[in-house]
Amino acid sequence: MAVVRRNVLTDPDSRKAYIRGVNLLKHENSGLSTAAFGIPGPAAEVRTYDLFVIWHAITMSTPVPPGGNPHTRNGAHRGPIFLPWHRIMLAWLEAHLQRVLADPDFGLPYWDWAKDGTPSFPGAPVNPGASALWANTPDALGGEGNPVPGGGFRFDPNDSKSFRVRIAADSSGRLRQVPDRGINRRFGQAGPIGSPALPTNADVLNAFNTLFEPSLATYDLSPYDRTSAGFRNRLEGFTGPGLHNQVHRWVGGDMAPASSPNDPVFFLHHANVDRIWEGWMLVNGREYLPDMTAPATLLGHRIDDPMVSPFDPSGPPATPRSVLDVTGTYLYDVAVL
Amino acid sequence: MDPQKMAESSDPAFLGEYLANLPRQHHAHPGPARSVREDHFEGHHIVVTTTYEITVDGRPLHIPIGLSNDGTADSHGLPNYQFTSVMDLVRALITYFPDEFPPGGGHHHRAEG
Repeated sequence: MAVVRRNVLTDPDSRKAYIRGVNLLKHENSGLSTAAFGIPGPAAEVRTYDLFVIWHAITMSTPVPPGGNPHTRNGAHRGPIFLPWHRIMLAWLEAHLQRVLADPDFGLPYWDWAKDGTPSFPGAPVNPGASALWANTPDALGGEGNPVPGGGFRFDPNDSKSFRVRIAADSSGRLRQVPDRGINRRFGQAGPIGSPALPTNADVLNAFNTLFEPSLATYDLSPYDRTSAGFRNRLEGFTGPGLHNQVHRWVGGDMAPASSPNDPVFFLHHANVDRIWEGWMLVNGREYLPDMTAPATLLGHRIDDPMVSPFDPSGPPATPRSVLDVTGTYLYDVAVL
Repeated sequence: MDPQKMAESSDPAFLGEYLANLPRQHHAHPGPARSVREDHFEGHHIVVTTTYEITVDGRPLHIPIGLSNDGTADSHGLPNYQFTSVMDLVRALITYFPDEFPPGGGHHHRAEG
């Protein structure tokens, strides 16, 4: 039976469970050390949660096709694979959270950031940093700061059980061990360093406005990169107001580098991105491009190409096609439209 | 996506071993940042090679820079950004990776490149 993913702001139970589950994964040894991933320095245990940090950084440095240019498109970003790959990554995190929470019905909550970015009435001031999400209480994520001053992921150098960032990407995207530290956030920095605002409800709705922009009825379009017209790139944020990219830039701090899953808000953010994609498919059909007639230069982004994701060797690898219909696995409590 | 199979495989070692066996990506970028852009236009093959020599506080900064045909730039370090200027890109790197650019000048970007 499919689990239900709920709004983290209006469902305190899923928010509390998420915080508890992430902290459990943060303290669980994966059985592998940093040496197994070529991370320099003395070999140190890698926690299960940090595997997701490593996975993201590796994938976005992986050129697809092999030998291609990861600046053009890579295994996680800047191309059609962006939405399917993050979908499978979130599904794996959800499975791990269900395991450590001993709750097979747990659904990964989502952060409806557009609600926090939208004034309550036209002309009203907007202060997303005051959202209940960022409260410095154990049942919320803590606010901004370096480290964040409170919340369920507060860092205490004297408490080995408190949340720690242990592995992070450097300015080249290379993974490294970092001295014990907490999460860093800096909300709403001015561009081009950050983004002073979150996307609004209107920004999200405009991504569905095929009367104004007909290409939004198509998942993706040639050249299938960050210059493409179509829905995927609008949602990824290289066209239009910025959507997904804009949220990373608004949160700032650890949400900016290749190791952005270091901030647990990463998964709440991407669950909302996934919800918007699901909403688009409900309107436009479970369509994906490019198909397998696309040239090998798009290997890794075509509908039946394997994604950078673990799979049972006895079965087929995960592909974009295999994640287009997830209604047997999870549903969202509220559709975008 | 089969939730039952995923539940059975939600063992840290399953994900960890998979990731550990992925091909290692090469992040070494010795020397100045170099970008090659190509296009085909009216039967002609255009190649534009750009080399950036960047220093911060007098020290060379060797980072991969991607240039698009519209002239904008990106870096692996900040995957959700596309900069209209490489100067802005370097400013952002200084902001987000302060330990690589300590106050006082000597930035710590890896000498091994």
